[in-house]
Amino acid sequence: MKQFWHLVNANTRKEFIELKRYYPNTISMILTFYFIFLAMLLGIHVVGDPQMADTNIQYVIVNYVIWFFMLMTLQDLGFTILIEAQRGTLEQLFMSPKGMWRILLARITANFFLNGTIVIFLLILSMLTANQWLYFRVDLILPIFLITTIGMVGIGFLLAGLAIIVKQIQSFLQILQFILMGLTFVPLSVAPYLVFAPFVKGVDMIRHVMIHGYTWTDFTALDYSALILNSIFYIVLGLLVYLRCEKVAMEKGLLSQY
Amino acid sequence: MEKEKIIEVKDLQKIYKKRKMKELVQAVDGVSFDVYRGEILGLLGPNGAGKTTTIKSICGLLKPNGGAVYINGLDSSKNRLKALNDISAVLEGNRNLYWRLTVKENLEYFIGNRGVSRKQAQGKINELLDLFNLKSKENELVSSLSRGMQQKLAIAVALLADTEVLLLDEPTLGLDVETGYEVREMLKRIVKEQGKTIIISTHDMPVVQDLCERTVIINGGKVIADEKVDNLIKLFESRAYCFTITDELTEHQKMAIQENFPIYHINENQIEITLEKDDDLYIMMDILKEEQTHIEKIDRTTVDFEQVFMKLIKEGSENETVLASS
Ligand SMILES: Nc1ncnc2c1ncn2[C@@H]1O[C@H](COP(=O)(O)OP(=O)(O)O)[C@@H](O)[C@H]1O
Ligand SMILES: [Mg+2]
Repeated sequence: MKQFWHLVNANTRKEFIELKRYYPNTISMILTFYFIFLAMLLGIHVVGDPQMADTNIQYVIVNYVIWFFMLMTLQDLGFTILIEAQRGTLEQLFMSPKGMWRILLARITANFFLNGTIVIFLLILSMLTANQWLYFRVDLILPIFLITTIGMVGIGFLLAGLAIIVKQIQSFLQILQFILMGLTFVPLSVAPYLVFAPFVKGVDMIRHVMIHGYTWTDFTALDYSALILNSIFYIVLGLLVYLRCEKVAMEKGLLSQY
Repeated sequence: MEKEKIIEVKDLQKIYKKRKMKELVQAVDGVSFDVYRGEILGLLGPNGAGKTTTIKSICGLLKPNGGAVYINGLDSSKNRLKALNDISAVLEGNRNLYWRLTVKENLEYFIGNRGVSRKQAQGKINELLDLFNLKSKENELVSSLSRGMQQKLAIAVALLADTEVLLLDEPTLGLDVETGYEVREMLKRIVKEQGKTIIISTHDMPVVQDLCERTVIINGGKVIADEKVDNLIKLFESRAYCFTITDELTEHQKMAIQENFPIYHINENQIEITLEKDDDLYIMMDILKEEQTHIEKIDRTTVDFEQVFMKLIKEGSENETVLASS
């Protein structure tokens, strides 16, 4: 556990250094977020029935933030594999006795932490600028969101595994954001079987909190178990597929190819 | 004291499927050798011999089709992560580094990935920066370093892991003569000061002559020699002769020498040959006698390791590497 902490530490430092060193990228990301948040917040007063618009805009902002983190979680590990293979550092990472999967887990934790800090800071900053404050149940949304994320990390591992074997997965990783966007906006009441898909249950519960004002007691035990089991299923599946792909790559000599 | 085996490579087999062509390539075909604690072993062979494949199988980056690698008695493909506690490697030298991180950041990142904190590693990092003369460059980006410096840093990264065994795949490949020399001197110091078990794959002879006590020569995926470097040289030295003549050789004589002696060298009035069979000396005499060439003297000559290597490779070159089409 302590050693995993050192992994997270090392990877956070590295990712932070790269954010600093590629500052044009970082600055444009920061500005994009700032202006999107600002535009959304100022939109609260401009658009339609103020009472309704308020909840809706809040929901859109929260949805947007969730979508951003989901997308990052999904793509990050796959891109990590592709980029490290291109640079030639992938095999060196595979030489760690801690195992590549732990390094990947440390990477995604690091990026979650770094991007989380940036996004929360910008959200607060834009609320200050617009003098508009969002009110939502962080105490409810955050735990639901984090549990949902665990399942997403599983899908991230699954894609990372595929990336080790099929190095041409880049465009697929990019298309994912549209699939994801679609899934984020479909309510479960329309397509109930999507409860078995990753993260849809979590997003649906957040929607209930944001729009229908659900609290802890409004969800049933079934809701909670669906949420938790879904995440456990996908993290286990993702890791198993990933480890299997590692093995195939070592049998076929694919680690050094890009 | 009995020498202690630290690595055992047993009947290693590795077959690749070529991606586009439907062809199987037997990269390694029954390679076996042992490595003893504290020794420096040269894994020698021409391009495509199977050196990298062997090294990566030892690292567990490749799963062999047959045979096994034992590290401290542990089957490396079954206990890959555990075995990696004892092994570090420099595989592609400067490509194995983050070019957009500084020298120090690279060292810190890689050791962090082994679960060691920055604080714990600091002393050893400074020690290595000193050893490699990289102290003044510690805050420079790797992309701004010379090829030789990058290579040294890659070796430093591997040494920082502080494992019993260090694997180096072609550490002087692509370096100019001067830098190659520098890296060699570096390695010599490491060998002296750190007392590690080192396996160096190379086709750079000075590396072997300078650094290695023993060499395993592979060609076409098979071991063709496993000997102390000194012994190999002695073995060939006893069969190397230099004829000094007063006349010029005729074309016909030159052809005959070429046909009979795989290793020969003709330089104005000197002919160097390596004898293989007992009556080779008579054959040479006959060739000279044919044109009544006057022999001034016959000497034993010294051979360098390069000649020995070329000779062994020529003998082994009949082995096919392409298995079959599927
Ligand atoms: N990933 C791979 N896929 C297909 N063939 C490979 C692969 N890696 C190596 N080979 C082939 O295996 C043989 C041995 O290669 P290698 O071990 O790299 O030799 P060396 O390091 O001695 O030059 C060569 O014929 C090479 O073309
Ligand atoms: Mg090689």
